Amino acid sequence: MADRITFEATVNGQKVGPLDIPADLMLTELLHEYLGLTGTRVACGQGVCRACSVLIDDGVAGSAAALTPLPACVTGAAYASGKSIRTIEGMAGDDGQGNPVPSAIQQAFLDHFSFQCSFCTPGFVISAQALVERLERAPVPRDQVEDTVLAAMNENICRCTGYVRYLGAVRDVVLNTPGLTTGDPEPAVTAAAGPAAGGRG
Amino acid sequence: MVRLLRYLAIAVLLALIVTGLLYWKGTRLAPLPPATVDFAALAAPDRAALVARGAEVARDADCVACHLDPEGGSELGGGYPMHLPMGTLYGTNISPSREHGIGEWSADDLYRAVAWGVAPGGRNLYPAMPYVSYHAITRADSDALYAWLMAQRPVEKPSRRPDLMFPFNVRPALSLWNALFRPDAQPFAPAEGEAPDRARGRYLVDVLGHCGECHTPRNLAFAMTEPALGGQVLEGAYAPDLQQNSMVRRGWNPDDLIAFLHRGVSPQGVPTLTMLPVLQQSTSHMDDASLTAISTYLLGGQGRAAAALPAAVSPDPAGRLHYLGLCAGCHGTNGQGQPHSSVPLATNTTAMMDDPLNLVRVIREGIAPQELAHGERMQRMPGYAAQLSDQQLAELVNYLRQQWGGRSEVLTAADMQKLIKAGPAH
Ligand code: FES
Ligand code: FES
Repeated sequence: MADRITFEATVNGQKVGPLDIPADLMLTELLHEYLGLTGTRVACGQGVCRACSVLIDDGVAGSAAALTPLPACVTGAAYASGKSIRTIEGMAGDDGQGNPVPSAIQQAFLDHFSFQCSFCTPGFVISAQALVERLERAPVPRDQVEDTVLAAMNENICRCTGYVRYLGAVRDVVLNTPGLTTGDPEPAVTAAAGPAAGGRG
Repeated sequence: MVRLLRYLAIAVLLALIVTGLLYWKGTRLAPLPPATVDFAALAAPDRAALVARGAEVARDADCVACHLDPEGGSELGGGYPMHLPMGTLYGTNISPSREHGIGEWSADDLYRAVAWGVAPGGRNLYPAMPYVSYHAITRADSDALYAWLMAQRPVEKPSRRPDLMFPFNVRPALSLWNALFRPDAQPFAPAEGEAPDRARGRYLVDVLGHCGECHTPRNLAFAMTEPALGGQVLEGAYAPDLQQNSMVRRGWNPDDLIAFLHRGVSPQGVPTLTMLPVLQQSTSHMDDASLTAISTYLLGGQGRAAAALPAAVSPDPAGRLHYLGLCAGCHGTNGQGQPHSSVPLATNTTAMMDDPLNLVRVIREGIAPQELAHGERMQRMPGYAAQLSDQQLAELVNYLRQQWGGRSEVLTAADMQKLIKAGPAH
């Protein structure tokens, strides 16, 4: 199908477009080939592994859409046009002098040695970030954190099988960030994974 | 005043007489056809053959669909909930447990329950047990089923009581319903001049398969009515019209129908919602001859190659953008799909149906990964309720129906709200 659309959006806070693109272009191709943002990974290419997750805010305040990671490999640019998109390149902060500062989730993944080859990591960062932002709006009781984290990260696949360290890192961020949980705060959970939390192999 | 009272008294008396007559009719059963086997004197090889035939009858009649234990562990232990307008019924334990199941039943008892809907002691079964369809089961099939059931492992688990509102919780009152809507049990026989293949298909579809229980419209008393297999909404899903003309219009033909019932995949789609378990537990186990017979009965040898049915109107342009944005990544820009992971939409019948309920539900709720049959599967489809407003959903639904479904209607956001409310009953 030869038809084309005009794409305009905000990507990681920057205005992008207008761009003349094929109407059925998928977001991964737009990010990689048109915008030079190659951090979003493509593994399965069919919406199963979530390596390519991005966050798309439809601009409706409080809408659930913004906090549901979408697989960019099967999400068309046509859906993202006119909206605000966040990718892995937009996750880190900045120290005020132009140096990137990892987000809490990114730092926790480093501290926990969550990843090995890292191919899946951008997707895990996006899913965890979406969870943190959902909990900012709707905190959960502390005793439900384990299940909530698993449900939020369950779609992400890691071929190096670092699940235990990924999930432990997200759990620590959720338990140690004020406002994400309700009920009595327990003694802070250690940030670094102890030897018992291993999950390699 | 006195005259008025007199009329009232007469009316009450008449109502009592009618009720009494109906009750009498509803509780009176014709003599049962005699058993076809002497179970006491059955030699081991004959019993084994009978049990094997009974296993086929159980598959054809899809007993497991309602009698399985949803917590796992048993196909006959009961507990599966059926959410109906009058409350919730649970499939009962039909394992040969003497305490909780049917271990004390005779072959006559089983026939009476299956064909008449009456359990030992005269206890009326609820018509969720499809005795209205099973009324024509042959005594030979009922006896084979009995042999198979009695050869299964007893499950020591009590049946869960129905949770129904008044007056539906009064079992004896079902005799009135039976008097009005239950056909007399009458073992199936081919009609005059009916080809054996078609007769077999009719028996499988109308009697054992009890397809009409979902696919035939119901009246206010929740009894099946005309047209047979004309389609209806039940338990929040639209069971499509299976009448020959309607199926041929949607692009069904014998080969594809047989593939659909056998493997669960055909260009017209895959079984979803309440049809998926029917594939898994019943039709995928049927042999070629049975599936061919079903197709002969439903399609009468007619058919049309699976193909899109473009509507006369030009497809909704906003809906097309939603399609390219959310659907085309898996289903293809032109609706071609991907083998073993995403169904083609260009030939899918869901957009062709009169009732858009299933289309709306699938788009909003998605579909869990499907293990179909004989190795076929489809990957998970995510639900897009969060991504689409009612207006956008209407545009997408209109696009799909106009582009491939041959339907020109323009549905609105308000229509979507109605359909969303008609959705899952639980
Ligand atoms: S690459 Fe997109 S989900 Fe796997
Ligand atoms: S770290 Fe290698 S795939 Fe996850």
